[in-house]
Amino acid sequence: MSENTKTLETFEEFRKSFFYGSRSDMSFKFLDHLSDEQGADFLQKLFRDVITSIDIGDTDLLKQTVLEGQAAAHAHPDTFSYSEGTFAPFTVNPADAKFTMLTSSGHYPAYKDPEPLGVQEMSQSEAERRIFDFLKEKPVLSEIPFSISPDELRVRHGGYDIRASLEDPNVTFPWQRMNELQEDGVIGRLTENGYSFIGACSQKRLMKDVIPEWIRLMKDNGVDGAILIPV
Amino acid sequence: MSVGHIARGFEESGISTVVIAVEPFLKRLEIMSLPRTLLTDNLIGRVLGSPHDTSYQRKVLEKAVKLLSSADKNGTVEHI
Repeated sequence: MSENTKTLETFEEFRKSFFYGSRSDMSFKFLDHLSDEQGADFLQKLFRDVITSIDIGDTDLLKQTVLEGQAAAHAHPDTFSYSEGTFAPFTVNPADAKFTMLTSSGHYPAYKDPEPLGVQEMSQSEAERRIFDFLKEKPVLSEIPFSISPDELRVRHGGYDIRASLEDPNVTFPWQRMNELQEDGVIGRLTENGYSFIGACSQKRLMKDVIPEWIRLMKDNGVDGAILIPV
Repeated sequence: MSVGHIARGFEESGISTVVIAVEPFLKRLEIMSLPRTLLTDNLIGRVLGSPHDTSYQRKVLEKAVKLLSSADKNGTVEHI
């Protein structure tokens, strides 16, 4: 194609390219969910705040701007909504209770890769490329001993920016802090394992097939309280 | 969404839960009518803040445990 006939990219195409497109970026994929006007306003503010943050030597302003963009993109109603809530009273003293932790962060032990989509040693980039395959899949729960060492812990998830989790898994799977709460008597006991799965999965299969199994697992382990962490 | 469904399932079976989530998820969590939610003002994928900020991580979890035992009704939301 000659330079004269080259098609110019529209702003809409530019925005959408961050959502699993040519500029795929898990921290800014939300640009896809904004209108052109919202997207333009966001980028203008971000550019302005970059300079202000450099001037004042503080990144809080930048963080706040990105947070506002992410919140705007997630403000739309989703498929599932419930008018009635559920509530199981917590009647035990936390210091005497048994706790577990379950996250949708996609952590797993190095020695037990869940091999999503039947792929051995799937890379993070493949997980991102195949996110729409993940959304049709039944989720698999990884059991992660609370005694696991940091070098045995892995993370892979095609739906969020895992860089912070790679640097310190406690950002999304705070197993070391949970161990400390137990050691210091803030909580009574932990289950042998914490749990993690890839939250980007088939919601219907999760509800119909999987959650009943996981409830049985928690009951069998005598769990009083569960710390749940979505990413 | 996934964790919201799990929280609802656990609660219906008598297991108490507290969800720790970033503020951008607030609207989505609200329509799930969850029992207890602790919101952190962090970016998506950084629920417990910046890497290696152990004191903040600890603070978040302690507040979550406190919320688990102090909430007396569905829909309790706190911020940290």
